[in-house]
Amino acid sequence: MALMPILHHPDPRLRIKARPVVDFGPALQKLVDDMFETMYAAPGVGLAATQVGVALRLAVMDAGEETPEPRVMINPEVLDAGDRMEMEEGCLSVPDASEKVQRYNRLRVRALDRNGEAYELDVEGLRAQAIQHEIDHLDGKLYIDYLSSLKRERILKKLRKQQQRDNA
Amino acid sequence: MVWPTASDTAAPKPLNARALAARAIARVMAGDSLDDAIATARRQIAERDMPLIKSIAYGVLREHMQLKALAAQMLQKPMDREPEIMALIEVGLYQLRRMRIPPHAAVADTVEAVTQLDRPNLSGLVNALLRRYQREREALEAALPDDAPTRYSAPPWLVDMLRQDWPDHWESVLAAANEQAPLVLRVNRRKLDRDAYATKLRAAGLPAQIIDAAPDALVLESAVPVDQLPGFADGEVSVQDASAQLMTGLLDLHDGQRLLDACAAPGGKTTHALECADLDVLALDIAKARLPRIHENLQRLGLKAEVRVSDAGRPNTWWDGKPFDRILVDAPCSGTGVIRRHPDIRWLRRPEDIQRMADRQLRLLSALWPLLTPGGVMVYATCSVLAAEGEDVAKRFLMSQPDAKHDPIAQVGWGEARRHGRRIAPGGGFDGFYYVRFRKPARREV
Repeated sequence: MALMPILHHPDPRLRIKARPVVDFGPALQKLVDDMFETMYAAPGVGLAATQVGVALRLAVMDAGEETPEPRVMINPEVLDAGDRMEMEEGCLSVPDASEKVQRYNRLRVRALDRNGEAYELDVEGLRAQAIQHEIDHLDGKLYIDYLSSLKRERILKKLRKQQQRDNA
Repeated sequence: MVWPTASDTAAPKPLNARALAARAIARVMAGDSLDDAIATARRQIAERDMPLIKSIAYGVLREHMQLKALAAQMLQKPMDREPEIMALIEVGLYQLRRMRIPPHAAVADTVEAVTQLDRPNLSGLVNALLRRYQREREALEAALPDDAPTRYSAPPWLVDMLRQDWPDHWESVLAAANEQAPLVLRVNRRKLDRDAYATKLRAAGLPAQIIDAAPDALVLESAVPVDQLPGFADGEVSVQDASAQLMTGLLDLHDGQRLLDACAAPGGKTTHALECADLDVLALDIAKARLPRIHENLQRLGLKAEVRVSDAGRPNTWWDGKPFDRILVDAPCSGTGVIRRHPDIRWLRRPEDIQRMADRQLRLLSALWPLLTPGGVMVYATCSVLAAEGEDVAKRFLMSQPDAKHDPIAQVGWGEARRHGRRIAPGGGFDGFYYVRFRKPARREV
C-alpha cells in the first residue's frame, strides 16, 4: 500500500466529472487500498478518487465513531433524502478550514462495493453528510461552492497564504 | 471529508503508538469507552500501527491494578494530576512485562512519547522508572500486594459482588475475565450445516471445534479477520459468542411467528432468529448510530426484518397494536460477563450503575409484557454475571406480573440452573450470560 498525494484547490483536476467504474480488477483493488491508507493517514472521514487525481466514481469512507466502519462506494446514487440541515464541514482538498453548509440529514443510497456487488444503505448525520460531500467530489464540486462569496474568500485567502508559505 | 471536530484546530502533532495508547487508556480511566478512544487514535496514525496500539491498550486495561501497584512502589508520590503520563508508565511497564518487544526499543519509544504528550520535564522520571523495573523486576513483582483485586486486576466493589453471587466460583469468574476470548462463529443454517462449514474452514487452513451445546457454533483455534473466513461476504457465517447463540433454542421459534427484538443492535440475535425460522421480525434499538450495523448484517445474510430506532420501553411511541408471539429482551446491562472481550468495562462501571441498570431492565420487561400474545414466550437475557441483573430482576418481574409464569429451561448442556432461569460463567466459547424464559398463559375460553 502507498500514501497518495491529495490534490488541493484550485487544482483543475478537482473540477472533472468522474466516469463510472467498470473494471473491478487488481488495479482498482490497489487503488481502494491506497485510498484507505491515504484517508486514515490524513486523517479523513472520507476520500474521493477525484481528490487523488483519479477521475473514477469511487470514494472510501469511515465514519465509525465507536468501531471501525470502512466502506467503499462505487458509482453511488442517492435514492432518497431527508431534511436539510446545517452541518460543519471540512475538506482534505481545502486544508485547515471548515464552514457550515446545508446537507440532507438522512440519505438512502445505492452503490457498488469493491467487488462490484450492489448494496443499499440508509444513513444519517455524519455518514449522510460525508456521502454527499464525496458524491460532490465525483461531480467536480467542492463544499466551498455553496458558501457566500465573503465566507469563501476568507477561506481561500487563508489557503493562498498557506500555499505561498509552502512554496517559499 | 475531514472529521468535523478536527477541522477547527490546527493539525495535531504526530504521536507515536505508545503516546496514542496512553492517551486512549487515560480516556477510559476518565469514563470514555475503549472503542471510542481507539477510534480517535485511528484517525491519528497509520492503520498498520493499530494492532500494536490495541494490544497495548487491551493489555494495560487488563492488568491495570498490578501495573498501578508496580508504579506506586517506584514513585515518590502519586501522579494523579498527570493521567496521561501515569497511563504511559503503565504502557511502558506492560511492554517490559508481557510483550515480545526488545526492552531498549520499548523504553526508548515510551520515553519519547513523554515529550510528544507535552511533558518533556517528566521524561527523565519515566526513563529512570522503566530502567529500575528492568533491574529490580523480580523484587518489585514479588512485593505486589496479595489481595484479590490486585491478583485479578479488578475493582474491589466488583470482587465483593462476585464473591457474594458466586461463593464457590468467584475466582474462576474473575480469572476468566482476564483470558483472551476465542473467536466463535455461527454457521448460517439456511445456507449450509455446521459440519459442511467446518470442512470448508479446514480446507482454508482454519481448524475449528464444534460446541455441543450451541447447534450452530464453531470455535476457531486461532482468530482471523472476518474477511478471511470463507463465505463471510456471502452470508454463510457470522461472528457471535456461543452464549448469545443459545437464545434461539429458548424461544421455540416457528415459521410465521411475529418476533420483537427489543434491543437489537448490532443484530446478531435478530439474524440468528431469522436463520432458524421464517419470522416477521421487528428489530428496535435506541441508538441511531447502531442501526446501520443491523442493516449490514441483515443484508449480508440475505434476511429481512423491520428495523426502527425506538425506545422499546415506551411502546406508545412505536407499537402498531399487533401482539407479538415472541419477545426477546437482550437488555442493556453492565457487561460484566464480557469483560474478557471489553477489558475497559471493569473500570468504566461504578457500583451504583448496577442497580440503576437492573431497574431499567425491569421497566423494559414490564413495559413489553402487555404486547405478548396469550400463550407467547418472552426471553430476558443479559451479558452480566451479577445476580442483580439476572435472577433478581426475574424474581421482581414475576412478583409484579401475576399473569407471567416462569418457564424453566430444562435439559440443556450449558450453564447452571438458578431458581429462575440459568446463568453461564465465562470461559471457553461462552461469555458470562443470564437467560430466563417467561410464558403468558393461553387465553381461557368462557
